[in-house]
Amino acid sequence: MPDAALDEIFRQIAAIWPVSHALCNSFLKTVKKGLTCLHHSQLADWVKTILAAYESGGLHQTRQLLERVEETFLCAIRGETGISLAEVTGRLQPYATGLAGHPLELIPGQEVYTDTEAVYLPPRIAIFPKQTDNFLFYKLIISFQWAFTAIGTFSLHLPEGSPAIPAATRRQRTVPPPACICLNDYFNLFAKPAVAAHLFHLGETARATTFLRERLPGLMRESAPIFQALARTIPQSAGGSTGDLQRTILLRAAQDAGETPSAPHPVTSLFDGLFRENATSQDSACFATKAYARFLDQAGEPAPPIIFQGVLRPAEVLAVQRKKRAAAKEQFIEALAAVINAQPPQDAPGEKEKNEAQGTGFPELEGQTAAVIPPEGAEKDAPDTKPPGEKTLEFITIDDSHIDLPDKLKKMAREIVEDLGQIPSQYISSAKQAAGKGLAQGNAPPPREGEPLAGANLFIFDEWDYRRAGFRKNWCSLAVKKIIPVTGTFVGNTLERYRGHLTRLKRQFEMMRNQERFVRRQKDGNEIDLDALIETLADIKAGLSPSEDLYIRLARDKRNISALFLVDMSSSTEGWVNTALKEALILMCEALEVLGDTYGIYGFSGMRRTRSELFRIKDLAEPYNDEVKGRIAAIGPQEYTRMGPPIRHLTRLLAESEARIKLLITLSDGKPEDYDDYKGEYAIEDTRHALIEAKAQGVHPFCITIDKQAHAYLPHMYGEVNYICIDEVGKLPNRIPEIYRGLTS
Amino acid sequence: MKKIATATQIIAERPFYLEQAEELHIAKTAYHNGLPILLKGPTGCGKTRFMQRLAWELTRPLITVSCHDDLSTSDLIGRFLIKGGEAVWMDGPLTKAVRTGAICYLDEIVEARKDTTVVIHPLADDRRELPIEKLGETLTAPLEFMLAISYNPGYQSVLKDLKQSTRQRFVSFEFNYPPPELEARIVLEESGIEQPLAEKLVQMATMTRSLKDSGLQEGASTRLLIHAGKLIKSGIQPRTACKATITETLTDDHEMLAALEEITSSLF
Repeated sequence: MPDAALDEIFRQIAAIWPVSHALCNSFLKTVKKGLTCLHHSQLADWVKTILAAYESGGLHQTRQLLERVEETFLCAIRGETGISLAEVTGRLQPYATGLAGHPLELIPGQEVYTDTEAVYLPPRIAIFPKQTDNFLFYKLIISFQWAFTAIGTFSLHLPEGSPAIPAATRRQRTVPPPACICLNDYFNLFAKPAVAAHLFHLGETARATTFLRERLPGLMRESAPIFQALARTIPQSAGGSTGDLQRTILLRAAQDAGETPSAPHPVTSLFDGLFRENATSQDSACFATKAYARFLDQAGEPAPPIIFQGVLRPAEVLAVQRKKRAAAKEQFIEALAAVINAQPPQDAPGEKEKNEAQGTGFPELEGQTAAVIPPEGAEKDAPDTKPPGEKTLEFITIDDSHIDLPDKLKKMAREIVEDLGQIPSQYISSAKQAAGKGLAQGNAPPPREGEPLAGANLFIFDEWDYRRAGFRKNWCSLAVKKIIPVTGTFVGNTLERYRGHLTRLKRQFEMMRNQERFVRRQKDGNEIDLDALIETLADIKAGLSPSEDLYIRLARDKRNISALFLVDMSSSTEGWVNTALKEALILMCEALEVLGDTYGIYGFSGMRRTRSELFRIKDLAEPYNDEVKGRIAAIGPQEYTRMGPPIRHLTRLLAESEARIKLLITLSDGKPEDYDDYKGEYAIEDTRHALIEAKAQGVHPFCITIDKQAHAYLPHMYGEVNYICIDEVGKLPNRIPEIYRGLTS
Repeated sequence: MKKIATATQIIAERPFYLEQAEELHIAKTAYHNGLPILLKGPTGCGKTRFMQRLAWELTRPLITVSCHDDLSTSDLIGRFLIKGGEAVWMDGPLTKAVRTGAICYLDEIVEARKDTTVVIHPLADDRRELPIEKLGETLTAPLEFMLAISYNPGYQSVLKDLKQSTRQRFVSFEFNYPPPELEARIVLEESGIEQPLAEKLVQMATMTRSLKDSGLQEGASTRLLIHAGKLIKSGIQPRTACKATITETLTDDHEMLAALEEITSSLF
């Protein structure tokens, strides 16, 4: 093996080893075989693919990838394997959402089908030699699957006595039939439900074809060659096979007259009728029922469906509908409960129930205490933007008092009525119950401070691995914690000690607070500048050319700065450094209060990638008060310095703020370092990358450090001019506010 | 002198406007009762056209001020100017409207400085007065005068919100994209294209509107559809016209552009 290849292998080991030792072993076993078809310069890309697969699918899947380097990696870069769903999702996801009018997820799956909330698609399409055709085919599948939902395939309801209900069942039935028959029940009326489903699906595909030709003519026109190619793949048969019907669909879709079947059969003409624009899913069912016996006699097994047809999964659709219904119910109850709670207490409906709710159980509600009433024309106070004829729901009556519904609730109510025909009274009684509970919950004691808060305060971050020039996905977790304030003499002592300095600081910062000022001698403005005017009049008298700048304008330069201070709370700050940092923070806060910039203070520490910790001392919106002072006093040395996650988290916080200038100021005493392999070059590179991400989001990072070796690594992390090294700890409190002043003026 | 974006119009021809609910009727009733109106809704859904039509029906001149973030009180009320060595008072558009009994329409009012919105308060309640501090004068608005403001509640910025004290002085109308049949008629009337094509354009707009918040900030407005329609009417291929007027206008994001292209190529 050439030396260059060996070097490359060793370089890659450094990237794989920290991720998984087992994976590294497998890599070493297969790399020789891999190099038989790969050039060693492609090794880095290969390893990247492998690591990505490991992080998403685990070791087993990755081993397969390693074994079959030729087909899994090489073909993909040569572009021989068609097109993968992952490649096109970015482009087709908005397309699908646009079509459906609600999020329609695209999910890779074994079979093509839809459950109305998502379309399941083959993970890769390599049917056609041209990539554009493969892409178009994805689009076509999505469009057809959406069409099935849009034309109401899944909402088939056969009324009692419909000609679509097979005669045999009608006669045989011993149990009384249900009021109407939905899709799944319909298939089960037949001895071979699969055949019936297949025929019905063909009928629906015919309808979908017509529908799509009307709705998406561009797509259907472009896809004509695809339809023709697919039609050629269907074997010619003696007739009577479902293959003939499939061919009819494809030729119709391609707007190709084609050859009509030699002997038109009544069933075939029934099928042709489905291409009419006004055909319904009941017509498809009629066709399926009529054709069922005939195809069972002649063909036996139906032909496999055309790929874009996929399969019908009525059970999954039903499950989605149920889930939606349950979610809608929950949302509606929650929203209505909030409305009921917000009612003024004197005429609050269900007042008595509320009081009782805090006791034992909830009293039984009378059946019809509530109703949702569509408005009368005269009661509308805003222009009605909905199309005429659509029912709107304006308010709800509970225990004889009206509650006006907010718009959001009106929309929910409308959707529920569309789905179920009415709002079940149970929904409203549940809401009343929930309203009562909400009140009871309000009396619960607030969570104790200092404890880590609930799951919402745990954040997951990627980490940059320079060895593979890529991210380790979801590598670190960061917990945002509160810090318990301490009461003591620290703050008082600090203010006393730096009293003289503080007065000067405050004056300096006050001068920076130039929010409104008059600018004189402007070409336009709100007032006349008398000085300028008198001068001009004098100039005119003296025969000089007069100035035109005669006005005073009120200029408003809002500082509009948000700053976050990130304080190192690692164990190395123990002692004198910690005290100096805290004093500096107190002075900084006092000065910033004068200036009026929004600012926040966070401390960070932690141990290992799973337990990075961020301590909230003051967030951007919080006022500077005794509690914040107590928290600053409580800052104490903790564990290690993993800088990536806290920087990424604060970047996110700053990115959400509206300020024009966003500053992230790190106060540190040394290099980033953690207990695990987060040290040395790795740690510096991750921190550097986190800072680059911050800059990309419009945040200016700046570092103030007391590390005497800082010049060796900080220029690389922050950039030449974005850090300051203070050589003496004692100077920190005096210097930090000055540095801030320099930074922002 | 700073130019203020105003336009005084006496509208001669009847502007085309399709009423969705009873908004014209209600607005006219508000006018006769001396009440100011507030129009809210996304861009390009017909707010300005509604004002033109209202002005035409009431046969009053319409003074439109497009507000921007540097628009100050003096820009609305007026200021002293120097003309040939003398200080001369110049009425601002709002003062002019009050004096002449016109309709003053402050477009995108939330964009203006906060102090500006307070100036219209005495004018917007039952006092109907406009104090002009610098002249020491208080104008009482004649019956013919009407104040109208508009804003787009779709902006999620907390800074661009209308204060309750301001909004609770107005009769409010919510404007939204019209229902599909109406919108197709509007596109058809304004651009002169055929009915099926207008319907396709509306379909396209509906699809982009459902992408709001999942990649697009705002869906295609009726105005964009009319633009597309006009280009198509003048002989440009529908796909090209949609790309130029809708797709490229809505976003710069390449993936989103590609997705919108897919929608266009499916529809036309």
